[in-house]
Amino acid sequence: MSLKSGLATFVGKSTYTLLHGVLHRGGTSLPGKLATKIDPDVMKNYAEKYDVILITGTNGKTLTTTLTTRVLREKYADVITNPSGSNMMQGITGTMLTAKLQDKTQRPIALLEVDEANVESVARQLKPKAFVLTNIFRDQLDRYGEIYTTYEKILKGIRLFPEATVIANADSPIFMRGDLPNPKVYFGFNHLQTTNSMRAPHNTDGVLSPTDNSVLRYHFITFGNQGDYFSVTDDFKRPALDYAVTSLNKLTPISSNFDIDGVTYQIEIGGMYNIYNALAAYAVGRFMGVSAEQIQHAFSSNAQIFGRQESVKVKDKEVTIVLIKNPVGANQVIDMMKTDDQPFSMLALLNANYADGIDTSWIWDADFESLHDTGIQAVATGGERYKDLYVRLKMAGFGDHPVYQDLQQIVPAIASMPTKRVYILATYTAMLQLRATLKQQGYINTGMGD
Amino acid sequence: MAEYKINAAHLYGDLMNTYGDFGNIVALRYYAQKIGVVVEQHIVSLEDDFDAEDYDFVLFGGGQDYEQMIVAEDLPKKAVALKAYIEDDGPFLGVCGGFQLIGQYFILADGTKVKGIGALSHYTLNQPDSRFIGNVTIKDEVNGLEYHGFENHQGRTFLGDNERPLGEIIKGNGNNGEDGGEGLVYKNAYGTYFHGPILTRNGNLALHMLQLILDRKYPQVDWQQKIATITPEFF
Repeated sequence: MSLKSGLATFVGKSTYTLLHGVLHRGGTSLPGKLATKIDPDVMKNYAEKYDVILITGTNGKTLTTTLTTRVLREKYADVITNPSGSNMMQGITGTMLTAKLQDKTQRPIALLEVDEANVESVARQLKPKAFVLTNIFRDQLDRYGEIYTTYEKILKGIRLFPEATVIANADSPIFMRGDLPNPKVYFGFNHLQTTNSMRAPHNTDGVLSPTDNSVLRYHFITFGNQGDYFSVTDDFKRPALDYAVTSLNKLTPISSNFDIDGVTYQIEIGGMYNIYNALAAYAVGRFMGVSAEQIQHAFSSNAQIFGRQESVKVKDKEVTIVLIKNPVGANQVIDMMKTDDQPFSMLALLNANYADGIDTSWIWDADFESLHDTGIQAVATGGERYKDLYVRLKMAGFGDHPVYQDLQQIVPAIASMPTKRVYILATYTAMLQLRATLKQQGYINTGMGD
Repeated sequence: MAEYKINAAHLYGDLMNTYGDFGNIVALRYYAQKIGVVVEQHIVSLEDDFDAEDYDFVLFGGGQDYEQMIVAEDLPKKAVALKAYIEDDGPFLGVCGGFQLIGQYFILADGTKVKGIGALSHYTLNQPDSRFIGNVTIKDEVNGLEYHGFENHQGRTFLGDNERPLGEIIKGNGNNGEDGGEGLVYKNAYGTYFHGPILTRNGNLALHMLQLILDRKYPQVDWQQKIATITPEFF
């Protein structure tokens, strides 16, 4: 280690100790920030010491990282990982600098969630053994950031290490672009045996064939543009899967029971997208030599998994609060609500501040119409842009319904819903306002992420 | 089998779908249903033929640059039929990229010039490192109505002599930020940069479009009277 690196490491570690040991404050970004100021390449010193696995993609990084950490800890004593939100250069540097290892005899693993735009810079220093690619969906907040541009950023990091294994969601066609020489491990869904040939729905992004830019056909679609795709204009098709979900046994809003390669697993969280996250964790586990039994154990351990949803009791209502921000995410929530076997109501809250995305047009691409096939009994709309959602749901066939512009009225609004179960879908700042009101009135007592 | 049916073509609906433009069809379907008319939607994409005879309404939305380039390459195959449809008073709504592509040409952010189909005479220039983003209000000079929407575009569009703007800018930038116009009207073809989508936010315009479609397809029926019974939505 050079003198500069040594100093950088010392400053990073001391700052961490000061923050945690003395001031009892969390976070790894400040130690990382100070250390990288002294030596931008300080992380290089850790490349040889760890087996490094980077997890990236636009959605599902955090949950995939959480589940994979659990899976790897079944076999490995030292698996270090970064806290959610610390997925850029400084946060990752802080994580590496301040890690405490237990077992000096076994090679430690660094399992890191990395922001797409930081893959290249992080990979350059840490020389990953594997890259895990979850998916790429276009985000509401970055509407002219194209999915192809995002993928190109990830590719820049992978191209530095042609010997690293790429563990990719093969159901996402974009990952077949780029012609990488790397060894690959593919995971995806094979729960349906069908020879159907269909196109994705009109509101789906990324349906062009990687080989000739024709519109892809699908034998089946899981959600979004993901599924068993093929091209009708040449012989391109989804590659053979190394690890596949072979059956969906029982899906509820709070749990998912499914088979991977014929063995049954359960996770205590609902939503198809979370099965993809579990499948990614499984693929990484198998790649690292963790057995199916160990993975079963890791998935079934009782620790609650924190996804993007939260359960709250408000008077006699069982309320599930879910963040929505774009059509793909909203459709996943709608699909999750469909797995509820009890009647339910939906309260949808829309704001259009900068953090929500100032353009509300995306609500027209969310498939609210498909809720008619479910146990939905009533809808209501609210938030600063309640009018947009009011008309959206009216035109989706839900008729005239209550509106709540002022989220101070949210508790009576929830109480007046006709069912015990209530789903609240909210954009980011509407969610903050909602939680503030619920906290103020004593229905929740923690901050988000506490 | 419904007595009256509108066949709506959503041009490249699986590629040009960035800003909820499909909502325009949702709005038409909602209002049409109230007077017993069914709206059937068909995606006409790459590889598909576009036969003008098959459709009573054509929606052409906006997309990402990558998809828009692929669409621009395919579009010449449909250009003759699309031009004939518009000349034959076919009701058409082009939004953002769909508005640009029926014109002569447009220039991408990086300076690449992409040919449109030239069905109409407007053309679109770029603006370096800048976009028009925000809420827009315009006034339709023909009927005095105000329309609301949200614009998000890099292109600056200039109309030809035979085209008139859909409205005059009250708030926002409109076609090019210079001449005070937003959108275009030529025969029964409408172009706009409005997302929102325009027909969901502006019920009167949706009902006007519905009447254009139905009067052309079923001229023997008094649609004006039926449509007058519908309450339009605004937001």
